[in-house]
Amino acid sequence: MTRLRMLSAGLLIALVAFALIGPLVLADPTAQHLDHYLQSPSLAEPLGRDDYGRSVLARLAHATRLSLVLGAACVATALLVGTAAGVASAWLGGWVDAVLRAVSEAFVAVPALLIVLMVSALASGGSVWALYLGIALAQWVEYFRVVRSRSGLVLGSPAIEAAGLLRLGRLHVVRRHLWPDLRPMLTTLASLGMVTSILAMSTLGFVKVGLQPPRAELGLMVTESFAFYDAAPWMAVAPVAVLFLLTVCFLGLRRSETVS
Amino acid sequence: MTAPTSLDLHRVTVRHRGRPLVDVSDLRLEPGRPVTIVGESGSGKSVLAHAVMGTLDPGLEVGGAMSVGERRLDLADRSNRQFLWGRDLALLPQEPALALDPTMRVRGQVAEGVPGFRRRDQHATAVAEAALGRLGLADAGAAYPHTLSGGMAQRVAYAAATVGGARVLIVDEPSKGLDPASLDRLADLLAEHTAGGGILLTITHDLRLARRIGGRVLVMREASVVEQGPAEQVLDAPTHDYTRRLLAAEPSRWRHRWAPALPPADPSPALVTATRVTKSYGDVPLFEDLSLRIGAGERWAVSGPSGVGKTTLGNVLLRLTSVDRGTVEHAPAAGGGRLQKLYQDPTLSFPARVRLGLAMRDVVQRHDVAAGRLEELMTAVGLPPDLLDRRPAQVSGGELQRLAIVRAMMARPVLVFADEATSRLDLVTQEVTVDCLMTELSDTGCALLLVTHDRDLATAVADHHLDLGTPGRSRPSLAGILPA
Repeated sequence: MTRLRMLSAGLLIALVAFALIGPLVLADPTAQHLDHYLQSPSLAEPLGRDDYGRSVLARLAHATRLSLVLGAACVATALLVGTAAGVASAWLGGWVDAVLRAVSEAFVAVPALLIVLMVSALASGGSVWALYLGIALAQWVEYFRVVRSRSGLVLGSPAIEAAGLLRLGRLHVVRRHLWPDLRPMLTTLASLGMVTSILAMSTLGFVKVGLQPPRAELGLMVTESFAFYDAAPWMAVAPVAVLFLLTVCFLGLRRSETVS
Repeated sequence: MTAPTSLDLHRVTVRHRGRPLVDVSDLRLEPGRPVTIVGESGSGKSVLAHAVMGTLDPGLEVGGAMSVGERRLDLADRSNRQFLWGRDLALLPQEPALALDPTMRVRGQVAEGVPGFRRRDQHATAVAEAALGRLGLADAGAAYPHTLSGGMAQRVAYAAATVGGARVLIVDEPSKGLDPASLDRLADLLAEHTAGGGILLTITHDLRLARRIGGRVLVMREASVVEQGPAEQVLDAPTHDYTRRLLAAEPSRWRHRWAPALPPADPSPALVTATRVTKSYGDVPLFEDLSLRIGAGERWAVSGPSGVGKTTLGNVLLRLTSVDRGTVEHAPAAGGGRLQKLYQDPTLSFPARVRLGLAMRDVVQRHDVAAGRLEELMTAVGLPPDLLDRRPAQVSGGELQRLAIVRAMMARPVLVFADEATSRLDLVTQEVTVDCLMTELSDTGCALLLVTHDRDLATAVADHHLDLGTPGRSRPSLAGILPA
């Protein structure tokens, strides 16, 4: 188990380094060289060039950075909002719980991608902010529901009653009871959330309702390469490989959820 | 098995990574002559029972053999006794409420033990009904285990264990969580089993049960038997020092400097005053128009059978539970964390996932406890300082309960509510724990509210007694309050 996690972490660090350093050192991803139309991979351009003569490697680095940054932002937002709402719901109860539960159930009733689509449709097409908001909105419910049920159990335990009798205060309850209990679950949920966000983004790009060309995005890159799959297979394989590796790494990073 | 035969154990040993857990020489179990093994937690008595059954963890190395009639079975082979289960050899497990299948009706669980059971077996169901009827559970056949009281669940487990006609019955810690009335009924059943020519091996740390069963008693300590003989001789005139120590740990024999004296004539200032409180769960009234006044330094014991509302009363007095009618007043001296509680399972009363040291540090900071006071208290109750590096689940129940006492004392309480705080501990550990608690309480003049189903413990500790009687029956509006 630890070896799998080490391997996943190593591979993920390599991908993150590629996404962060790549855009700084590689060529401009939008620079067109129409005379190098569909150039095969070479030493100078390890992944060749696309139909506009743009560097596939440079575009891949930018697309990976976009996926990771946007994914992390979505997960962080969903996690913060969902956890805060879940704890508030379990702790305060009453009408706060009723309202939050009703809102969350409304979100559960709608498929996640539809939420992202609706938010994207409201904003001008292809906005990164709309995509961010949509994915975060679709994901917070998961954190809310898990945190709410788990916090309810923790807050109802004799340990919290004892802490109340000792007048230890809310900070103690959060630091010593809730957070240590929720943390392992939240890291698991967050690594799954990264996968969902990245895949949602590329799915929307793939069906051309997400981000718009000429932005380098993994899903868009897959669609754009379709016309040339026989002449330039590297164009399609590169983004698919990155998506696959990102997914496998985040899944491999999870701890086993067994409670000691 | 048709003719009554005896069961012999030949030099049973159990080791874990070389450390001996059980090392017992030959032992003969005969029909009609019950054998009881007593000793403290960790002495290896339950491990011995499971070694005989063949239900031990595979990580343990088992040696020795047993013979049933002509057959000799090697104990190291865990599977060679499975064909005896139910028909010849049965185990009544610890905490039967947890051993029963929560998703299955009681009747079906008992019917599975009938020899030759098949699905939808009319005959087996009838046999199961009859078995339940004999145990006074005729109406419980269609019930699910979670609706039963601890005593009823134990009788269901007894029916399930014995319905297959097993003559060798092994009973593992039957007293855990049972009130005296339920334990009495179980003791009657066990007596019936031996009177009918059955073989009985009981594992317990309850010496009263050992006396009731009679027969032979073996005292185990640190994996081996230190004394054995007829029950009257071992339990009344012990020869081994450890047996004497064990007997002296019975609450009825305690001699401590904090032993209850006559309550003072002048009533001390009130800490908690309950006036005509009424509380019910659904349709079941727990207590009605109950009035109670706990004064500073008084020691109250609330006793009664399980399910009578003892714990609820304590929670009501600490205002942890609301009442249907009536008022509970706290004196100003009892405000600001001066009322503390000890729980039946101390593991659940500490934050589960952080080191105990962190949990205790918050208490020290909140209550401005002087530097060194925590260490001083821990030394006073005999806890090593490195205990604080561990998590609650890594500490034994007795040690953790003593740490809970230390935690409560750091808040400089005026009243401590001990909710069955020692009922899961064995006798010796119970005495050590109660001694720690009572020494701290009498040194600080703190009052005690003890909830227990053990009347001997109540008598040994308290100077005011409140008996809540039987659940569901009408009781006098002000339950009998007697000085000890």
